[in-house]
Amino acid sequence: MDFVFELIQFLVNHFIFILTGILFTVYVMLAIVSAIALRWYIRKNSYVDYNSIILAPLTPSISVIAPAYNEEKSIVDNIRALLSLYYNNFEVIVVNDGSKDGTFAKILEAYDLEKVNYYFDYRIPCQRIRGVYKSKNRSFKRLTVIDKANGGKSDALNAGINISKNDLICSIDVDSIMESDALLKLVKPFMEQTDSKIIGTGGVIRIANSCDIESGQISRIKLPDRFLPRVQVLEYTRAFLMARMAWGKMNGLLIISGALGMFDKEIVIKCGGYSIETVGEDMELVVRMRKYMSEKKEKYKVVYIPDPLVWTEVPSTLKILGRQRNRWTRGTIETLVKHKSLLFNPKYGVLGMLSYPFWMIFEWLAPIIEFIGLVYFGLLAIFGQPNWSFFFLLLAFVYTFAISMSTWAILFEEMTFHKYKQKREIFKLVLTGILEPIFFHPLTVYWSVRGNIDYMRGVRSWGKMDREGFKNHSKKPKK
Amino acid sequence: MMVLGRYKCLFWVIIFAIRFSEIQAQPNLDTVRIDSLHQTFDKENTAQPEPMFGAEYERILDKADRAFKIGLYKQAGKYYKEAAKINPNSIYIQYRLKEIENRKSNLRNFFFYFDFEKPDILIKSITYLVIYFIASMLLILLVILIHRNQMDSVEKRKQVLREKYQSLLVDFLFSTDNASKVPSDIKKIASSLFNRRILIDQMIDLSINLSGETKDKLRNLFFALKLERDSIRKVYNRKWHVKVKGFHELAFMDIVEANDQIIRCLQSKNDIIRMEAQLAMVRLGHGDSFGFLDHLSKPFTLWEQLTVYETIMFHNLPIPHFDRWLYSKNKTVVQFALRMIEIFKQREAYPNLFWMLVNDDNEIRNLTIRTIGNLKIKDALPHLKRLYKNETYQNCLAIVQAIAKMPDEKILHFLTLVIDKEEDVQLQIEAAMAINNMGEIGRTALQKLLNSDYKNYQIIIKHVLDKRIA
Repeated sequence: MDFVFELIQFLVNHFIFILTGILFTVYVMLAIVSAIALRWYIRKNSYVDYNSIILAPLTPSISVIAPAYNEEKSIVDNIRALLSLYYNNFEVIVVNDGSKDGTFAKILEAYDLEKVNYYFDYRIPCQRIRGVYKSKNRSFKRLTVIDKANGGKSDALNAGINISKNDLICSIDVDSIMESDALLKLVKPFMEQTDSKIIGTGGVIRIANSCDIESGQISRIKLPDRFLPRVQVLEYTRAFLMARMAWGKMNGLLIISGALGMFDKEIVIKCGGYSIETVGEDMELVVRMRKYMSEKKEKYKVVYIPDPLVWTEVPSTLKILGRQRNRWTRGTIETLVKHKSLLFNPKYGVLGMLSYPFWMIFEWLAPIIEFIGLVYFGLLAIFGQPNWSFFFLLLAFVYTFAISMSTWAILFEEMTFHKYKQKREIFKLVLTGILEPIFFHPLTVYWSVRGNIDYMRGVRSWGKMDREGFKNHSKKPKK
Repeated sequence: MMVLGRYKCLFWVIIFAIRFSEIQAQPNLDTVRIDSLHQTFDKENTAQPEPMFGAEYERILDKADRAFKIGLYKQAGKYYKEAAKINPNSIYIQYRLKEIENRKSNLRNFFFYFDFEKPDILIKSITYLVIYFIASMLLILLVILIHRNQMDSVEKRKQVLREKYQSLLVDFLFSTDNASKVPSDIKKIASSLFNRRILIDQMIDLSINLSGETKDKLRNLFFALKLERDSIRKVYNRKWHVKVKGFHELAFMDIVEANDQIIRCLQSKNDIIRMEAQLAMVRLGHGDSFGFLDHLSKPFTLWEQLTVYETIMFHNLPIPHFDRWLYSKNKTVVQFALRMIEIFKQREAYPNLFWMLVNDDNEIRNLTIRTIGNLKIKDALPHLKRLYKNETYQNCLAIVQAIAKMPDEKILHFLTLVIDKEEDVQLQIEAAMAINNMGEIGRTALQKLLNSDYKNYQIIIKHVLDKRIA
């Protein structure tokens, strides 16, 4: 019995310690690669005049697909913002996914829509499309609205893909605010493709809580007033500027955020479109597309753009944030389990040998290991005699590493896009970084563990995501 | 990142200083004492050979030594004491126990006070890392604040200079005074590197909207201030982003002195240098602006093609006959030529286009079909019809779309067959659209199909006839 206890003690002590060491090393390496890639990207694009291509005839055609479910408060403004994006060759497909409120009626009225005899093929299976609508007003000729039975976000996106007539599709969250030049920036990698096919591009998502909005556009960027959204600013900055940038550089990106992503339509269709069986459809699609390309032995790339392209409202209450994180965890597990054949499979290159193991160990299992570690230490503290000196030293190590990474993230933001202009905001962010490991991180571990439990219990629901809505400074939309 | 670059030296100096002071304060005691112990032990062995105490004793002693070496003093002490029970007279063990006591009681050493029961090196490493993280955090914060102040002040200075130079330049350009005489105010500016940079940027910005005599005057001023030397120097710089800036400046000011260097960069492995060199050559390659296409071995991406097209349009450059590059070995150059033939409506290229319809590459054939369609070259219709049978899906779609752009009654039967035989909805819709474009005859044909019992036809034709669907 002693032997078993000693063995467990040895494994827990050493395994967690080694894993932490590897995790920190990987984070540092990712940050270094990101810094190099960011510097290169910014210099490269400092000569690009995106405006000059707005009217150019050679640009690929894009279908912007925006699924909408119960969005009556903001849908009219959001569509207007989408229609005013800077690009010459695009259409906007809004998919009303069986909303229970007045979303569809509002669009119908505001954009003077009428049903058309639209014929299309269900190339990707989706719920029944009740009708396709176009505006009588020619100034809204880019707009197509689909009314369909409720089937979830993935299903709505699939319906949009079936209707799309263009080469590229851009999936967005209708309640997010896109930068006017987002399409220009997203399409550029597709136009730069050489021997490797570009199958998808994604950009940075920024947090719009507390920002001022005018006519569906961000008019003044502000750091969120409340702690929870502010801590997510740090999280997003770390994730997007310090990790995804590096994965993009290594062509190992596994996720393009559902809030904004552009894909090669034909590859999406060949892969079967968005999966309706997962709550992490954005990640699952990218993994499936990459797997498909690898199996076809075609060279491909998933490109990541560090420019802030879309602004979104993040949860500002623990309840909603918990649901979101729970869903993210379940989505990750579903995708990883579904594509388990990728694990350490050299056939899939970086995807199988690096990206997949990283996600499995550090995104899925790390919170569980951390939780086990905490429980183990708790037991040790109660029943045994932990080495308090070493514990406090390790705690200091982990804590200072965490705040140091957050400070680096703030530096990355400062040196690149410099969106938060006031010095006060920098101090606020640093303070948030100091408090985050104490007050926020344990919660993320808890939500992640709950996500795992829910996954095992077979929970597949999306979870209700109430939003507070943006501070809108615009005048009432005129009909 | 530039600012980080400036301060990172300082950062490493601080880290080095911390580490160096530690090394100075604590000489490697293990090495020193273990060496001396070995000597003592050797003496012990030679002077008074230690009796054999069995394997168990040796094992305990080994364990004790190992623990001592990695800094586990508590554990080492325990083993030495165990060994001392077997051999209470060992000088070696007593020496070690004394040494452990010394080390533990050494208050100078902060770490032993806590007794981590972990290897010394581990404790030290973690402690250094903690110090490093705290220091880096403070340093980064400092860098951010300095950067912010610096950026604000530089931006303010730039803004003031921009306004000042712009008014000086405008006054100079539109004054009726002697054009060859450079005003002293502007001369003064050119004496500082920072000011010269702003001045060059201002001149480039101005040159975009100028033409004719005024532009020549600006160019002459550029030479008079010897700013071209700065631009040429940039072209020879090893840093790619500086090089590219040089290309820009030379292209805008129409300076050909560094063309040889730019030509060398046309085959650069760096995509950005290559692209910017191409753009510069389009502007500066007087007489043979597109000559670089003859030798281009790297892919000429759609983005590069678009920027070249924009340059042609923006600067009203002479347009060559692009069919010259239809037989290029570089597929992307052929694609560019096809696109330009279409955009600039070079219908005279048809004899060469015709051969592109039988090119081995699917994408080139696709683009050729689209080009023929957009140029409305009706002579190609029989060839397109003939090709349809053996083409890929994408190319079949392109053929039907091309046919739709040049409606001809002779092709009606073929299109009806497409609707009838094909299962793909997009092909059927495009074929129906092509029929619809034929005018009265087409509409009659569609009406006939609409009255057919086959439901699919009805949906397709309703879709095509619905004018609200663009």
